[in-house]
Amino acid sequence: MSDNTVQVKEPRGPSFGSRLGDTFLYGKSMVPALLLLLLLLVAFFGIATPNFFAWTNFKAIISNVPVIAIMAIGMTFVLLIGGLDISVGSILGFTAVNVVLFHNASMPAWLVVICSLVIGLGLGSLNGLIITRVGINPVITTLGMMAFARGLASWFALGFEAIKVGRVFDQKFLLLARQFLPSSEMQIIPITTVYLVVLYAVASLVLRYTAYGRNVFAVGANEYAARLAGINTRRIKFSAYVLSGVMASLAGVILVAQLSLGRDDAGMGSELEVITAVVLGGVSMAGGKGDLIGVIIAVLILGVIRNGMVHIQETFGLSYYWREVVKGLILILAISIDAARIMATKRRQRVRQ
Amino acid sequence: MGDSAASGLEQGEKAKFRLSSTLILLFVLVVMLVVFSSLSRDFYSYQNLSTMLTNIAFSGIVAGTLTLVMISGGLDISIGGNIALTSCLVAFLYDKAGWPSGLAILLGLVLGVAIGAFNGFFITRLDLNPIITTLGTMAITRGLGYVLTKGLSIGIIENITGFISRSAIAKIPVPVILFAIVYVLLAFVLGSSKFGRKIYCIGANPLAAAASGIRIKRVKFLLYLFSGIAGSVSGLILAGQTGVGMPQHGRGMELDVITAVLLGGCSLAGGKGSILGTLMGVLILGVLYNGFTMIGFRWVHISVFQGVLLILVVALYEIRDRQRY
Repeated sequence: MSDNTVQVKEPRGPSFGSRLGDTFLYGKSMVPALLLLLLLLVAFFGIATPNFFAWTNFKAIISNVPVIAIMAIGMTFVLLIGGLDISVGSILGFTAVNVVLFHNASMPAWLVVICSLVIGLGLGSLNGLIITRVGINPVITTLGMMAFARGLASWFALGFEAIKVGRVFDQKFLLLARQFLPSSEMQIIPITTVYLVVLYAVASLVLRYTAYGRNVFAVGANEYAARLAGINTRRIKFSAYVLSGVMASLAGVILVAQLSLGRDDAGMGSELEVITAVVLGGVSMAGGKGDLIGVIIAVLILGVIRNGMVHIQETFGLSYYWREVVKGLILILAISIDAARIMATKRRQRVRQ
Repeated sequence: MGDSAASGLEQGEKAKFRLSSTLILLFVLVVMLVVFSSLSRDFYSYQNLSTMLTNIAFSGIVAGTLTLVMISGGLDISIGGNIALTSCLVAFLYDKAGWPSGLAILLGLVLGVAIGAFNGFFITRLDLNPIITTLGTMAITRGLGYVLTKGLSIGIIENITGFISRSAIAKIPVPVILFAIVYVLLAFVLGSSKFGRKIYCIGANPLAAAASGIRIKRVKFLLYLFSGIAGSVSGLILAGQTGVGMPQHGRGMELDVITAVLLGGCSLAGGKGSILGTLMGVLILGVLYNGFTMIGFRWVHISVFQGVLLILVVALYEIRDRQRY
């Protein structure tokens, strides 16, 4: 990456390499570079391992992606307004436990979903209130929320030995994440993929074409200027944390429906993967920059890597535990790219002046 | 600095006189000691006190170096992973590879240096966000711990780590002595050395620090190095104490340590805090968790409380600072 930070234009016109470097460093979105990376990874795993290119494996990747992808939507909004939310994994876990408890209270499926989303709404609002009203740093606030929600989840799960997990779930509820389109005979598109497409489309449209979306970018790019322009910056920031909480709960609902298992350690450490995906997708840590198309490709990249590591283990006997190491390395790589982009933009602005 | 504080947070009473916040913390500590000893008869038994102090020493050493990092405006949340990997590595070398224990421990410390250098390099040279960078390091180190032990725990039967954590000199457990030495050293460095003043200066105003000729990157790099070494020392203590090296060691302890440091008066923005304050923070949290366990709370209740406490502590300081200006 660092080789591309200084690109001197040659008189003959830019070479392919330097043009690629330019899109990487100055380009508005990382989409071309990310697509290339995705293709390379798929090609690598496909050539290196015998079972990667299979229809069932492709379906496995697609159905493992939604949990991270849904949380990534909320996290994108949070990073866009210049914040950070590391409590999403715990909110997911707390929701997962509650889904079991709601079922145990024999609620119908639709009520379970609504009540679960209300949990995310509540915890997200709490994050937002503390950050915007009390004025505590988002990292500290969400770190506290992370411990709080995870602790509550374990607390609520104490009586779980009594509940026969797995049998408690209502068939309608499980179908929420297990149905396929167009019909149950022709299993082609998982319903979770449909959810994803709809959610990403709506969120992208909101970000790009509504006043609210433009305000989100404005707050992240320059909060002071945004306030002077008459934007209610507190409300915008608050809304981002609420959205993040609701998305985490939705991810929790889908995870439980997929696994038919609600555990208090569900989603532990997933905040790492979500942040990695969002930053890798080109959303800047500095706020105010990024788009959801990059994010969804980054989520797919992580999904392919996660799945590919399993095949690597099968083929070469490399321990599956390496995936944690790879995750951490990708996160650091992603923020290094982000830092290089920020630096390059600053340098270019300085040259223009 | 954050030393003088408006007292009388109770009943919204406006401050007439100023009290050192360290004194307030000391007062809280004494009250807690009195309350817990009246609630639980065994609180003052030698057994409980030595366990409590050993636990405090274990997280306290890391909190000490984290104080320096946070005063400079940084943050290191990779310590839990560092502790896990160190314990795994030492156990692996000693038990599986048959190394002499001294050499294994030495390599554990070298590992701490390496992790610190890794963090320091990325944060200072590439100018990356310290929170996210160390979040990545946490995943890498813990992941390597899993790879090394294949997800299991490796027992360490008899060696020097046992001496470090389980023996006592004049009835004082060795980790506690180690803890005391580290704090005296850190207090000296921070309070009365040039290096300490540089740390405060960097945290309070990086631009001014750079303008006055402080080599910010080098100072910060050294601080992450210290933090890495402290993490591996804690890892050794934990490995000796539990007798195993396992990748789950130290999970979630960054929360404890950060809460203690913030309670001691540090802020995420940097430039504030002291070793004495952190000592108070570490003691208060240690006594609190121990006391809660002694009077019969279960771990899940305490972990809910941890999150609330962190936010409460920072909120109180935030409100106090607002009143002052």
